[in-house]
Amino acid sequence: MDMKVKGSKELLTEVTDAGLCTLCGACAGGCPYLVSYKGRIVLLDSCTLSEGQCYQYCPRTYTDMDVISQRVFGTPYSGDELGTTKEVLMARSTDGHIKERAQYGGTVTTLLSLALEEGLIDGAILTKMSDDKTPSAFLARSREEMLKCAGSNYMACPVLQALNGIPKDSEQRLAVVAMPCQVLALSKMREEPPQNRVNIGNVKLVVGLFCTWALSPDGFHQFLKENLDLPQVTKFDIPPPPANIFEAYTPSGKISFPLDEIRKFVMPACACCLDMTSEFADISVGSVEGIEGWNTVIIRTDVGAQLIEMAKEKGKLEVDILPPENLAHLKEASLLKKKRALQEIITRSGDRNNLLYVGLQQSIIDRLLA
Amino acid sequence: MKTLTKDPLNLIIAGVGGQGNVVISLLIGKAFIREGYFVTIGETYGASQRSGSVMSHLRISRETEYSPFIPSGRADIILGMEPVETLRILQQFGNSDVITIANSRLIHAAGMEYPSLDKIVEAIEGLSAKSWLINATDEAVKLGDPIFANMILIGALVGSGIFPIDSKSMELVLRESFPGEKLETNMVAFNKGMELVVQ
Amino acid sequence: MSGVGIDAPGSTQLFIGNEAIARGALEAGIGLASAYPGTPSTEIMESLISVAKEKNFYAEWSINEKVALEVAAGASFAGIRAITSMKQNGVNVVFDFLANIVMSGIGAGLILVSCDDPSAISSSNEQDTRHIAKWLDIPLLEPGTFQEAKDMTKWAFDLAEELNSICMIRSVTRIAHARGNVTLGELPKKEQKAHFDSICPVVPTLPKFIPYPSAWLHSQLHAKLDKARELFESSPFNWYTGPEEAELLLITCGSCWLYSLEAVNALKLESKVGILKLGTIWPLPQKLIETHLGKSQKILMVEEIDPFLEGSIKELVADLPPDSPHPRFYGKHSGHINAYGELNPDMVIEAIAKIMGLAYQPRDPEYSKKAEEVPITYMPPRIMTFCPGCPHRAAFWAIKNALRLDGRDGFVTGDIGCYSMAIGPAGFFQERTMYCMGAGAGVANGLGKLGQFGFNQPVLAVCGDSTFFHATIPALINGIYNQSNFTLIILDNNATAMTGFQPHPGTGVTGMGETTRAVDMEALCHSLGVQVEVCDPFDLENTTATLLKALAQDGGPRVVIMRRECELVRARRDKKPLYKVHVDPDKCLGEACGCDRLCTRVFGCQGMVWDSESGKANIDETICTSCGVCADICPQGAIIREAV
Repeated sequence: MDMKVKGSKELLTEVTDAGLCTLCGACAGGCPYLVSYKGRIVLLDSCTLSEGQCYQYCPRTYTDMDVISQRVFGTPYSGDELGTTKEVLMARSTDGHIKERAQYGGTVTTLLSLALEEGLIDGAILTKMSDDKTPSAFLARSREEMLKCAGSNYMACPVLQALNGIPKDSEQRLAVVAMPCQVLALSKMREEPPQNRVNIGNVKLVVGLFCTWALSPDGFHQFLKENLDLPQVTKFDIPPPPANIFEAYTPSGKISFPLDEIRKFVMPACACCLDMTSEFADISVGSVEGIEGWNTVIIRTDVGAQLIEMAKEKGKLEVDILPPENLAHLKEASLLKKKRALQEIITRSGDRNNLLYVGLQQSIIDRLLA
Repeated sequence: MKTLTKDPLNLIIAGVGGQGNVVISLLIGKAFIREGYFVTIGETYGASQRSGSVMSHLRISRETEYSPFIPSGRADIILGMEPVETLRILQQFGNSDVITIANSRLIHAAGMEYPSLDKIVEAIEGLSAKSWLINATDEAVKLGDPIFANMILIGALVGSGIFPIDSKSMELVLRESFPGEKLETNMVAFNKGMELVVQ
Repeated sequence: MSGVGIDAPGSTQLFIGNEAIARGALEAGIGLASAYPGTPSTEIMESLISVAKEKNFYAEWSINEKVALEVAAGASFAGIRAITSMKQNGVNVVFDFLANIVMSGIGAGLILVSCDDPSAISSSNEQDTRHIAKWLDIPLLEPGTFQEAKDMTKWAFDLAEELNSICMIRSVTRIAHARGNVTLGELPKKEQKAHFDSICPVVPTLPKFIPYPSAWLHSQLHAKLDKARELFESSPFNWYTGPEEAELLLITCGSCWLYSLEAVNALKLESKVGILKLGTIWPLPQKLIETHLGKSQKILMVEEIDPFLEGSIKELVADLPPDSPHPRFYGKHSGHINAYGELNPDMVIEAIAKIMGLAYQPRDPEYSKKAEEVPITYMPPRIMTFCPGCPHRAAFWAIKNALRLDGRDGFVTGDIGCYSMAIGPAGFFQERTMYCMGAGAGVANGLGKLGQFGFNQPVLAVCGDSTFFHATIPALINGIYNQSNFTLIILDNNATAMTGFQPHPGTGVTGMGETTRAVDMEALCHSLGVQVEVCDPFDLENTTATLLKALAQDGGPRVVIMRRECELVRARRDKKPLYKVHVDPDKCLGEACGCDRLCTRVFGCQGMVWDSESGKANIDETICTSCGVCADICPQGAIIREAV
């Protein structure tokens, strides 16, 4: 893939049709032509522009990691397992109400809720599940609304479409809770801000989530619908290995599915993703393997560090060191994702010198392929 | 009563569907019928009435009736309701003696780049033995409705002196055609058109 | 308002051919007129219906052409003169009844007027109806001038009664829709009394109005044609102009008569070229033609659409004795005249000049050169499109978006109406089949049964509200009966809009302006057991959502009614716009928006213009009808829609 910015036609051929689209939503709703619908990016009309923001901010068009890293951290891309970090720790909410609804330790909801209370943000773009568990982007403006978005269903959701829908003249300050691909798209926007109504300047905080893969919202939702009474489901979970299952919590107990049955629905694009820990976020949050009720937290930027500090001071978060074996395991998993993705990319392109969207220094590539 | 400078006299009204060329041609035709002429009018009807290129062909004769199509290159007068449409007609039906009176207000063609108005006007003038371009639409908007541009153009046609119908005859037709209050504004528009070509 | 009812015999009016035909029917003393609108025939009925009350006769817009002729036949059977008018396609709809009634004969004069549309300017097809008259043994007349259109129509009723046969009049666009001098005749003042008398004068045990015994009636029909031929030999509607001995003889009819005259005149060949103008087209006046065939060694046939006269006259010549003159024929078979499309004086000039070996120059070559040098970019084409404010533009926008979102390569099957323009950019190229009235739903029936062959593309059939009543209901019922998988979209704009907003059974108003019971299309569909959703196409979001829901369904057909009155009808009645609409120049980002001119390039409403100076969108307030739909498509919210 070359470095030139192209238009929507090329976006479709090089990304969507090539099985690289992660459904991040960065291209959707930024113009009147591209929208996301039921797990697909749809072009409503032909657009004649030879260069488009759709192509420019897509996390699966050519991305020079050094340029992005310079913009976010002021340093070239390190290629380390967890990316650039200030601190890695574990945390959990002190708020019982949040903990009750939380997937793991409730850290994300706690941080957002605090940022809102302290007037740092006016709202947060989150993923919300409908009663029938269809995920959609949602702009939460209150603690209550944020709480309603807690929990995961592991389906891809074009969250950034909601950002594209906010008027340029809006003065709202926003947080975005994003998957690694979405964090990368936001970083590309920060590097060269959009010309039109989309205003990346509104985004004051990016909370990245850990992600190994996401499920196709169309196919997987169909699977869930066929096997569950969805409005009755209160939570989905993938317990740590060696369980190898996907669980749905219902009033009549947990219903589990073999993980292999679920993997069929993984987005084909996820196999080409090198980022497990949202390396360009202000703060990245995931689970802690083997320690229930806690989150792994990676602090990456000053904005992230200040917020964690504030949460500690105000007693909103309980913070502890991440046990070294957990840290080692996290790094190992992250590195494995990078290696596998790079191999997959080379298999797809059929050329060791063509890494599709990935713009990395040769030394890093060599390290990963070693 | 003036006499025809040529028999048959061939007049084409060119415009865009929806502008009202059918009404103009009927009013002009009626004025000649009143004075005992043979009149044939050919119209563009049907789908082109929806914002397409439209034209009315008027054949006026003392002798006999003519077909509703003016042969190519045989127009005597072109009354243009829109610049590009005026040029389109001139190109096909114009000749060294053709006289043009046209509204200079453009109507965009959906989805198309409209050419430079100055160049269009230059081309119209270049293909006419004599021409008047008047902004009838702007004058009509001053009178409250762009539709009065049609009456201004009829006024200009009568006022130009190239036309064998005088203002009295035309006024009689307008009186027959427009009820009450409508007549008054239409007469104002008609007189405005007469003035515009005299200036 | 048409002046066809003016009671001023001897006065000269400026009538279109359709008005002249209507006037002829009035002078013939019709008691009933029926029609389904169709360009270029519509104004015949429009003129008649506007004076029906005042002139004390009955007129109606019928549900379709077949019913219209049956309505007229009913009057004829009871001794009341009746006329029915239609475009060429209507004759196909009426064909079955026509082929039957021609066998039985009629009561009072019964006339069918077919207005053909050469070049299919406002039609789905090009078709020469004269063949149908010949095929079915129906006497046929064709006027060549506006005066003749009136006089011929009046006489046609006498002819029909004398022959005891329905008669046809063929007109074409340039007679129907052109205007010329018509001197009026007397309007009859007598009272009429209707009475149905069905006793067959030949076999009193049989009813009179049946096409039986058919073979015997068929032989009687041939006798009627023989009688007609006799009458036509001396008809004043056939005449010759030109020299006694001609270098070239033109044989022509209808609109081509004036083209021929003009062509001969333009080439200054009056002393060399003769013209035989025929008004009685079927059966042909054999002797008259034979007489004139001797005038010249060269014959040029000038007629519109098919070589009908050409073929029929060659048939005559084949039957002539061996020592008769056998002139050389020029026309459509020789390639001198197109066997398709409209003719005009230029084409006839070209044909004559070619045969006579002449050069023709309409204007100064210098001027021609200058004219041809005008760059083509100075004259951008104006594509056919929906009117500003047309609900169909919004409807097809929603259809397009729904089909794209659905993503299974769905498409629209359609038929003829304003919405046919959706075959092009006006409707975003959504309509992928377009045939006769009701054909969209019919074709969808077949497509919707192809599941066993792996067909999974969604099928949307569209029809207008008037078309729904005219020909779509049987196709819908067929789909329900046979469980065909498609969605029928009824674009209900509360009028037969394409032809000039005539009422139809769903509008609650009759052609004569009486309030009547409106046939409720929703209730009708419900009664068929089919699911019906109603939405407003101006609500783009809800319309798209409604369609997506319909597209997601399987099984038999479902109906979506997109209901929004034709903006032209609404504006005429309400005399005020729906909204105030303008572009906020501060909000419109123009070329910087990234919207790639969605409003003018894709949505394409003529009211919206791209101002190349400011590089931003603007509204031409002289064109815009302020429907406000564009406000919902601008991604920047720069188009402002305010309440009036």
